[in-house]
Amino acid sequence: MRSFYISDNHEVDDVDGDFALLVMGGELDYEVSPQIRARLVGAIKDGRRRLVLDLTEVTFIDSTAIGVLAGTVVKLDEAGGGSLAVVCAHEKVVQIFEITGLDSVISVHSSRDDAVSALSLAG
Amino acid sequence: MQSSGEYDAASLAQSELLLPARRAELAVARKYAADFAEAFGLEPDDSYDFVLAVNEAVTNAVRHGASDDRGMIHLSIVADADRLTFAVRDNGTFAMPVMDGPVNSDHGRGLALMASLVDEVQLEIDPGGTTVRLSKVRP
Repeated sequence: MRSFYISDNHEVDDVDGDFALLVMGGELDYEVSPQIRARLVGAIKDGRRRLVLDLTEVTFIDSTAIGVLAGTVVKLDEAGGGSLAVVCAHEKVVQIFEITGLDSVISVHSSRDDAVSALSLAG
Repeated sequence: MQSSGEYDAASLAQSELLLPARRAELAVARKYAADFAEAFGLEPDDSYDFVLAVNEAVTNAVRHGASDDRGMIHLSIVADADRLTFAVRDNGTFAMPVMDGPVNSDHGRGLALMASLVDEVQLEIDPGGTTVRLSKVRP
């Protein structure tokens, strides 16, 4: 079982400067949710309005981490508007997005390219 | 890891674990549930759901509950025929979530998630504390 990690030093090609790509892996729970919230809030404070979260290597997500993502959508709205897209491959993690209904406010994609394309079109 | 309980999931039909009421212990609670679910013979898909539900219940106890005078919350698992039942008890008063909150609310999903993942969720609220019981039935 791989422990939690998060990184944001990734370049997104051919898109405007308001994109941010954060890559996470491992288990997203109440213990690490504050770190996730801090990174996402930091990205919004830095002027990023289109956020891509690559959760391809995430094997577990709980309601507190889901709550952080939902809260990020609200913070983007409060900052004048923006979009959040996630990349998700793990079947059970995708299922949690569906059960909680979060897939109705955050677009869930199977590849990073799809997520970036979707947010590029979101303008 | 500073959990004080000892357990052997393969050989016991029931087990108890005292866990410090801290965020960092959630992974210990998940492993405790996963080991027992595997020994009980739950399918991997059902085991995953059981472990996630356990995680939600323990998170609730750590987040909103109150530990005992030693800073502990009490976990237990009982295997009974085709039913695996996990319980977590804390000394706090259960905070009933708002079940019909907005979809982008940043909290209040734990209980609904538990209910969707296991076959039965029971809440016992008494003056001394709160017990959440989760049961998963082996097909």
